[in-house]
This record gives sequence, C-alpha cells and structure tokens, in this order.
Amino acid sequence: MAAVVQAVNLSKVYQKNNNVPVYALNDVSVEINKGEFIAIMGASGSGKSTLMNILGCLDRPSEGKVLLDGEEVSKLDDETLAKIRNKKIGFVFQTFNLLPRTNALENVELPLIYSDRQDITNLAKEALVSVGLADRVHHNPSELSGGQQQRVAIARALVNNPEIIFADEPTGNLDTRSSLEIISLFNELNKLGRTIVLVTHELDIAAHTRRIIKIADGKIISDEVNQNPLDAENELTKISSAEVLNENK
Amino acid sequence: MKTSRLLKIAYIGLGRNKLRTFLMMIGIIIAIAALTVIVSLGEGSKRQVMERMKKMGADASLMVRPGAGVQRGAPGGQAGITTLTLEDAKAIEEEIKNVKNLAPVMNKAGVPVKYGNQNSTPMVFGVTPIWRVVRTFDVERGEFISEDDLASAERVCLLGQQVVQDLFGDEDPLGKSVFLINVNFQVKGVMQSKGTSTGGGNLDNRILVPITTFSRRLFNQDYLGQILIQLSDVSAMYKTAEDVKALLRERHQLAATVPDDFTIRIPEEALKTATAVSSTMTILLSLVAGVSLIAGGVVVMNIMLISVSERRKEIGLRKAVGARRRDILAQFLIEATVVTVIGGIIGILLGYGSAEVVALFTETPPAISWVVFALGFGFSALVGIVSGVYPARKAAYVDPIEALR
Repeated sequence: MAAVVQAVNLSKVYQKNNNVPVYALNDVSVEINKGEFIAIMGASGSGKSTLMNILGCLDRPSEGKVLLDGEEVSKLDDETLAKIRNKKIGFVFQTFNLLPRTNALENVELPLIYSDRQDITNLAKEALVSVGLADRVHHNPSELSGGQQQRVAIARALVNNPEIIFADEPTGNLDTRSSLEIISLFNELNKLGRTIVLVTHELDIAAHTRRIIKIADGKIISDEVNQNPLDAENELTKISSAEVLNENK
Repeated sequence: MKTSRLLKIAYIGLGRNKLRTFLMMIGIIIAIAALTVIVSLGEGSKRQVMERMKKMGADASLMVRPGAGVQRGAPGGQAGITTLTLEDAKAIEEEIKNVKNLAPVMNKAGVPVKYGNQNSTPMVFGVTPIWRVVRTFDVERGEFISEDDLASAERVCLLGQQVVQDLFGDEDPLGKSVFLINVNFQVKGVMQSKGTSTGGGNLDNRILVPITTFSRRLFNQDYLGQILIQLSDVSAMYKTAEDVKALLRERHQLAATVPDDFTIRIPEEALKTATAVSSTMTILLSLVAGVSLIAGGVVVMNIMLISVSERRKEIGLRKAVGARRRDILAQFLIEATVVTVIGGIIGILLGYGSAEVVALFTETPPAISWVVFALGFGFSALVGIVSGVYPARKAAYVDPIEALR
C-alpha cells in the first residue's frame, strides 16, 4: 500500500515563559496508507490535535519531517501549504465551522473558490448529493440539524477531491443517533476509497475504524489494527427498533 | 483569484450582516452627499454666472480707452486722443493669457447719414467680426460684418433700430444704400434693440462698419476709441487688468512718474457675481465634507476591525481550506471598498436630491457634471482602501490553528 502521509520523528516544542520547553509531540513517527480509516485517540492535551495539524499541513513540526503524497511539506512556507491544503486535504471540525447565513451550497463551494477549478457550483452540488443532502442545497446552517450541518461540512471536505480527510472530534457536538449517522457516512466514504483520519477521545467512536493510534503526552503509545470494527449501520438499526419499542410502550 | 470571485465573496460577506454594512455606509453617504451638494451647487452657480456674463456682454469685459481718467459715459467723448492703436490691441491679444476674445473699436459721434431725403447723426463704430461676440450684440436681420468685409474694407454697414426708424420709417432697409459723409454704403443688416446704456447713451442710435472701412475710407484714422477684452477666467479680472496696464505702459514707454495715457474700466458688478462662487461658505462646506469623510473612514475601520475579530473562525476556516494571506487581505479590503463605493454612489444621488431642494431656496440650479462623479467615486474608494488596509492585514495574519480551536 502506498503511504499518503508519512511522518518521521516529529517533534513539536513550545517555549513557555519560564523557558522550560514543552513537548506537544515527542519523536512521533507514523504512516497513513491510501484507503485507511484510522482513529487517533488521546485525552485532551495528549498532542493528538497537534499531530493532526501537522499532518494536515496547518502547522509545521519543530523537528522531523512530513511527506505528503511523497512530497516533503514540513519546510514549506505558509502560502505553499495553503495551496497544498486546498488541493490535497479536507478538514471536518467538531463545531462544523459553517459560515452563518450562507447556504449549504455556498459553504461547500468555499474550498473551490480558492482553487483554479471551474464549474464550482456543480462540483459543490455533487458533493452535497454524495452526503445525502440533495434536498438541502439552499438551506442556511440555522435551518439544518446538527447532523445535517456536519454533513455539509463533510461535503465541503470532499469537494476538492482530497487525498486525505482529517476529522477533529466530528461527533463531539452531536447526539448518539446523529453521531452514528456521521460515522456511517465516513465508513461509506472509506469504502469508496477515501482515506479518513478521525481524531477523537471517545473509544465508542474510534471502535468504528480499522486502525486505532493512541497518543499520550506527545507520544504514540499504541498503534493497532482494529480486527472487529463496529458497524454503525447495525447500531442505527438497533436504536431505531429501540425507539419503536419505546413508542409502543 | 478572479475578481468576480472576490466580489462574490465580498457580496456574501456583506450580505450576511446587512445592518452592520448599512451602518458602515452612513458616514460615507453623508460625507459624499455633502461633497456632491457643494460641488454641484458650485458648478451650478458658476454656470449661472457664465450665463449672466453672456447677457451682460461688454459689462463683463474689460474696456481699455485712450486718455487718462476718462469718466464712464458715452463712448467717443474723448475723441481725438490718439494713444491707443491697433498694434496695442494685437499685443494684448497675443501676450495676455486670460484673453478669450478681443475687439478693437474705432468710433465717432454725430456723423451725418442720409437716405433719400431723411437725415440723421448717429454714432459710427468701426468694428471687427468678433465684436458682436464680445459685446453680445447680435443682428436681428441680415448679416454681420464678415472677415471678407474687413479684409477688403467693404462699404457695408449695419444699422441700429433708432437709425432704421429715423431714416427708413416702415421701409425695409436691407440692401438699400445710405450715404455716410457722402460715401455710399450698402445696408447689410439691422442690429437688435438694446435700449440705453448704463452711461445713458442710446445703444440703438448707431451704425456699424468694418474697422478697416472706418479707418481708410471714412476718417483716415489709425487710433482706437476702445478695446473690448473678453476674459476666459472672469474672477482673475483684476490680475488681467494689471497685466494689460503693465503691457501698455511698456509699449507706450511711460516713465514711472508719468500717469497712464489710457484707462482700463473694470466691471465691478460682474466681478462680484463671479467671485461670490468661491466664498467662505463653500470653503466651510468643503471642510465639513472633508471632516465627515474622515469620520466616515474611521467608522468603517472600526466596524471592519470588529468584523475581523468576530469572524476569526471564518478566517481560520478559509485558511484551512486553502485561502492564502493575500486572498484574505483582498477579501476584507474589497469588503471595505465595496461598502464605501456603494455608500459613495448613494451619497452622490442623495446629494443631487439635496442640491435640488437647496436650489428651491437659492435659485441656483445644481449642475450635473462628471467632476461630481469623479470626486465622489474617487474619494469613497480612497476612504475604503485606506480604512480597510489595517483591518484586512489583521485578518490576513490570523493563525488558523488558533482561530479554529
């Protein structure tokens, strides 16, 4: 399998006021292959977000290097990184980060605006259809449920056809049912060949992926294949029948 | 990035917060409206002055006469003073910049004229074709003296209304022959009626002939009775009068202690109307417009700063999905400029409305000119750029990791 992202001996050091260096990441090496569905797990402050930011070309490591698609990106300047993010990376955030009072379509168009691609409206529409929001194209975020908003955000991450999608606690603001729907959507996208990295502190969520990397104190403490990933579809069905039961009581 | 995309981003960004956008505009609208009122009324009154000048004719022109300290009165009163020549007139026309048109005039009072057995003694003027423009004294019927008439010293004349009445009664004078001191002249046209001059002379009791004819065929005279000077810039009349005075003194080789051998008449009335335009009121209003434009700019900058700090998440997100620093910079700069330019356009329209209302009370019709649009548009765009730069730079340097946390 070809590595989409390869991180070698990454360290990220913050110099605090008292001059004691704080390691957000300490000598981390990791490889993410094409078509993987991975969870990066860890408590808050463990360094998982820092790792995601560096792998996602939002940040640069203090030491070590990152190869994206075989190209070294850890030394590039901000403007070049912006271009790479625009072409090769999709982000999904905990708080959705949709532009308010801007309809779903325009929100999804956002990455394309900064690309040199033409026909951005059609591409954005296709992305919305692929996340099951064909009938919500002209709705503003305030007119959508949390789960739907996160789907718009996923469509936005998909629209530039990225090499890899990073999702930072994508279910953190959602109820159980919506969370499962989102995870199920990620699963489907993965089956279609998308490389997806979930950053989460919830084991319940991580359990749906096929590889779980655990981080603590800036170090990888385990990196294991998940032999029996949970099936979000199944759970959804269970919840639905439970709800039906409750209503019948 | 394409301009159309940038404008679309700005449009969406501004549309998301309409009230804020409107509040940003208000200051600019007021300032540009004030500016428009001032400029359009200023232009309007300038045009009005021009119109008045045209009507006043000679009264808005400088008049140079031979002889010192000549009283205002009927021309020809100083007959026989020979200090002013055609060469003087030519020199003034060539060397004084503010001269728009210049008409040398020869004149003689009480010249005997005969038609059939009717007699009259009107004043005879030797003039050039440009005279009727400078003097705004037009023909009623027939034609005025032409360049050809001038060149060949034709024996043609134009009659004033009084002369027509005295010699012809109800008969049509056009094409008839009259005798001026026994020289045969053909009547080429009849002048409009002008009534009495400010000095009391009857402006209709005149006969006009080509100045060359006057000089060579009638009176064998080579000195001028007056030089009429129409100015390009009426408000610079005093300055021009000084220039003419200096030029003539030099040409006449007058020593410093010798008084002028000519008199320059300055039409005070015309001057007052002309200079009233650039009054203290205009300066004051311009100041108000300037200050409110600055205040408007400060408001725009303030609200843009608030907007930037409120939209840090949006900026962070845009950067995360690939916006470069200059994209963000352009976005906010264009937002600010679009606001001020739209404000400017509204201001121009509002200003015109106000100017029309003001005109109801002052009787000065506002003038629509490209100057107003250029100024309004230019100033509003400038304010947008100037007050947008700092907030836009701040936005461009937002750290996406920090903003999205």
